[in-house]
Amino acid sequence: MSPEHPRTDRSVSTRIGARDISKNYGLVQANHGVSFNVTPGQIHAVVGENGAGKSTLMRILQGLERPDSGTVILNDEPVQLRDPQQAIRLGIGMVHQEFMLAPELTLLENLVLGDEPMRTIAGPIAIVDWKKALTEARALEKRAGVAIDWNRPTATAPVHIQQYVEILRLLRRGNDVLILDEPTAVLAPQQVSKLIALLKQLRDQGASIIFISHKLHEVVALADHVTIMRRGKAVASASVDELDIAAMTRHIMGDAPADPSEQARAAVVLPDARRILRVEGLCAVTVDRSQALNNISMDVCLGEIVGIAGVAGNGQEELMECLAGLRSMSSGSISLNGAELAGKENMDFRRAGIGYVSPDRAHEGLARLASIADNVMAGSQHAPAFLKGPFRNLPAVGRAARQRLANLDVRYGALSDPVSSLSGGNQQKLVFARETASKPQVLIVSQPTRGVDLNGIAAIHAILRQHCEGGGCVVLASEELDELIALCDRILVLSEGRMVGAVRNEDATPETIGKLMLASGDGLEMAHV
Amino acid sequence: MSDHVNTDAMPADGLAAMVRRGLDGTLRFVVPIGIAFAVGAVLLLAIGENPLETYSLMLSEAFSSQRRFAATLSAATPLLFTAVATAICFRTGVFNVGVDGAFILGGLAAATFGVMLPMSIGWWIIPLSIGAAMLVAAFWLWIPGVLLARLDVDEVVSTLMLNFVALGIAGFLVNGVLLSETSGNNTTETIHSTAELSRLVPPSTLHSGFLLGLACVFAYALWSSVTPAGFEARLVGLNKRFARAVGISIPSTIIVVMVISGLVAGLGGASHALGQVHKFSDGFSAGYGFTGMAVALLARNSALGIVFGAILFGALASAGTTIQLFSDIPLDIVNVIEGTVMIFAVVELGKLTLWRKGKRP
Amino acid sequence: MTLAAQILATTIILTTPILLAAIGGLVNRQGGIVNIALEAKMIAGAFIAIVVSSATGSWLLAVFASAALGGAIGYVFSLTITRANANMIIAGLGLNILVAGLLGFLLSRVYGTSGTLRLPDVHLLPKIFPESVSDVPLIGPVLAALDPLTLFAWLAVAALPFLLANTRLGLRLRAAGNAPQVVRSVGLREKSIQDFGTVFAGIFSGLAGAHLSLASIGLFNEGLSAGRGFIALAAFYFARNRPVGTALVCLFFGFLDASQIRLQTAGLPPKLIGTLPYLMVILGLCLAAWNTKRKLQA
Repeated sequence: MSPEHPRTDRSVSTRIGARDISKNYGLVQANHGVSFNVTPGQIHAVVGENGAGKSTLMRILQGLERPDSGTVILNDEPVQLRDPQQAIRLGIGMVHQEFMLAPELTLLENLVLGDEPMRTIAGPIAIVDWKKALTEARALEKRAGVAIDWNRPTATAPVHIQQYVEILRLLRRGNDVLILDEPTAVLAPQQVSKLIALLKQLRDQGASIIFISHKLHEVVALADHVTIMRRGKAVASASVDELDIAAMTRHIMGDAPADPSEQARAAVVLPDARRILRVEGLCAVTVDRSQALNNISMDVCLGEIVGIAGVAGNGQEELMECLAGLRSMSSGSISLNGAELAGKENMDFRRAGIGYVSPDRAHEGLARLASIADNVMAGSQHAPAFLKGPFRNLPAVGRAARQRLANLDVRYGALSDPVSSLSGGNQQKLVFARETASKPQVLIVSQPTRGVDLNGIAAIHAILRQHCEGGGCVVLASEELDELIALCDRILVLSEGRMVGAVRNEDATPETIGKLMLASGDGLEMAHV
Repeated sequence: MSDHVNTDAMPADGLAAMVRRGLDGTLRFVVPIGIAFAVGAVLLLAIGENPLETYSLMLSEAFSSQRRFAATLSAATPLLFTAVATAICFRTGVFNVGVDGAFILGGLAAATFGVMLPMSIGWWIIPLSIGAAMLVAAFWLWIPGVLLARLDVDEVVSTLMLNFVALGIAGFLVNGVLLSETSGNNTTETIHSTAELSRLVPPSTLHSGFLLGLACVFAYALWSSVTPAGFEARLVGLNKRFARAVGISIPSTIIVVMVISGLVAGLGGASHALGQVHKFSDGFSAGYGFTGMAVALLARNSALGIVFGAILFGALASAGTTIQLFSDIPLDIVNVIEGTVMIFAVVELGKLTLWRKGKRP
Repeated sequence: MTLAAQILATTIILTTPILLAAIGGLVNRQGGIVNIALEAKMIAGAFIAIVVSSATGSWLLAVFASAALGGAIGYVFSLTITRANANMIIAGLGLNILVAGLLGFLLSRVYGTSGTLRLPDVHLLPKIFPESVSDVPLIGPVLAALDPLTLFAWLAVAALPFLLANTRLGLRLRAAGNAPQVVRSVGLREKSIQDFGTVFAGIFSGLAGAHLSLASIGLFNEGLSAGRGFIALAAFYFARNRPVGTALVCLFFGFLDASQIRLQTAGLPPKLIGTLPYLMVILGLCLAAWNTKRKLQA
């Protein structure tokens, strides 16, 4: 609204873009020579798997991170973004997945927060002009084509309304570059089409929109242009007319590596495999209550690795937590060797022989401020072998800790060092060392190689195989399709909280699984490939 | 094979890590105290006193003779209990600021039993009084423990408020049913002489409660370092999600530490009532719960630190009283130092942890 | 009837310091900081009011001095929380002890007394209405007892909902307390906004202190605030930060205080009555928690 905000200038060829941007986090190369261009009045989709580097790129465009090399381009000129405030002033606005709205304030209050229209009462005394604010809000509302009850407390407003308010707030403050991070993840189908209509309208008014998504049919429906990222690189960038969904899928997934030793695994047949873990009709509520685990049934046999695939946020994490006993289920059954576990506590799951490797290593898998020894021995504090009378037998605990760490070849300095002194790979191996120590039959393993270097990945894959060869079984959720294909006997695919397909190892390719993953929730028939 | 490598590498690194941690702990103990004494020094300069002289006088008043040292230990005694009771909870990530109330009710229960039980039961009167004190105080802190564990009621507010409730209840009782018929207002009768804890170095008031306090600190050291429950409590304090994922019950850990905290605070109240004042009267706790909190913060919950911290504050209290008598420096300087220590103990903590977190990717 | 009017008048006067401190505390908490150190600023305000009133002969200057001192202490306190990341509870408890110590130190060293400070020529708060107003039926005694700070406190209560809702600062303060990351994301400095809240609480606690010492007794005593800072905390906790609700709870606490002697003669023990505010808070928290739990399960 204020004059300092740049107005849309149709004459420039690049409203916002990147030239050759690279960014490393330690060993992880998040962005590698990424370039892309968004013209004024364009909807530009950025797609790719989780960890492909999309979020890093967006963080750079918002001034939250600085690139190691390369530049951000704004109106054909290179700029250095120092902080998000500067990006906002330059007209770059972000719609976060978690909305930046204060839940206890009304929608109108959130709309004007930080740039309130004021009304002078007397001399220097001024108060917020709510009348003017409401007029502005109504004008914006009309532009969006939705009815909004502005005086409603934000927490009670439906999610899609909150999203509109977030977008309208950016428009009100003159932001004509909008970055939307998976905006449809929280929306119901009919709301999605409304959002698409709004974004198209904004584009026609000159806004440049960057749209991050996993859902290719939405990309086709909405975007003018698409840039595809894989492993930190922009691997393709083209008009949407030139790329169909199949081509996009190919670019997203890349080619599966043909590692002979890993292929050999496919030949392992399980003749009289015994089903030990049975899940029937499992239903559960997810954190944000928008999606639920819906009627999941699966069996896991001894010696088997069963993969769980799906686009992030489709219920994999919730399913794994249910299997580990960390999330209560609303109905259904989980049984191990015939013993029912539904309704029991996480301790009972562990006692029955289920180990758990959390996807959130920093906050759940490890106690970062505790020592290496404490981390690897946690959970075993009541085992008779480690007690002497009422006390912990510390020499025995130390010996066992060393043994456990040695078994999985964890490299560490001293047992008393904080666990955060270990590298990512060694931290993860330590988690495995703890979780496999009591020889559980079933390992529930979620995102085991996230943030782990190549050597670590190989070691963790070996651990998983060993566990199965030693008579256990594994349920493995991973966002790395290559990993699932290399390791799993079967891969089950989740979409929107439902089991939408099962693929056997010999049929598993990134395409077959990708197709199931990216399928919208329409065809809910179980697809057996 | 790698076992062998690791054990070789361990002593050197382990020692270095231990030294580092020891230094770290010492620094965090010394820095807030240093700042507090500096603030005190400014105050002393402002009124024209020489701070060095005053501090060295205090030092000699607190430690220079057996009698003075005994007075210091005597003043440190209640702090040993309240600091342990606080540290148990802080270590578990439970923000219990209600130790003072539990201490008061424990003292009241012990004094009541010390007065009411028949003399004829002999020395049994002491364990019975102590037992009653511990039970009452444990029940008192069990309440906010359950509220936190089951209903997620903020323990800071509930324990803070319960302190005032405890004061009110005690005040009501010593002005009512427990009021002494002989010795005036706001106090119970003096306890039977058989209920008194023995004096260790008469004429000093240092009593065997001090030994109980040391035993408590020792038990706390054992509990925290070598029992499964203490281990679990620490993991809960470090990371609740992690603790839950490895199979530790968060609610029962919270309730257990609150009850243990109450037991210790009650024992402290009993020690103070039976050993020091021999009755219960209004003003029974001179803020011992809060000074104990300062001690626990300063010690960063370590047993050794608690002993040092308690003696430090004991020395301040006993030397403060005497220098007020002889050199006209108000005893209130002790409060100034205590308050400053509390503030800077947490300021340090906040900053340091933030830096640490920020550094590691 | 006169008895009731008298109790009412005493209630109003005894409510004022609690109310002022509670207003400060609730604004502070709306901004996201739980202020345990209202007590410290109150007692400091009470002290400086007596000193300034005696030295200048002006009750108004004394009141300003109390507000300024309370605000200054509040600002330093706020910095330890917002900038040095101190735990607000521990820092608050520490500040209470520190300020009490400093005052005691000053009293005995500078004024050579212990506990109580009497100074000559202390000018008390004036009454708003002339003495004769007490003849007015029903509300006469109340009107006669009114002093400027009491009036100010109730005007503040009346204005507060409007100010919180309709001023820029009010809006930003509520936002900072509710979702600091949101405030940051729209380019505002949430820490400075929170500092304002703590200074505000300091000023109002200082005024509360001034009322304690200048309303009628005209002297300072170390025990003057007698836990009123915590009663104020109890009031806005129980009323869940709503200004008018908080004022009503304060009025109830003031009533308990005013009728203490009569309740005592009626057989109700004053010490137990005194625990009522604190029990109410715990009960209120339990009910709220139980409610949330039920909602989550439903």
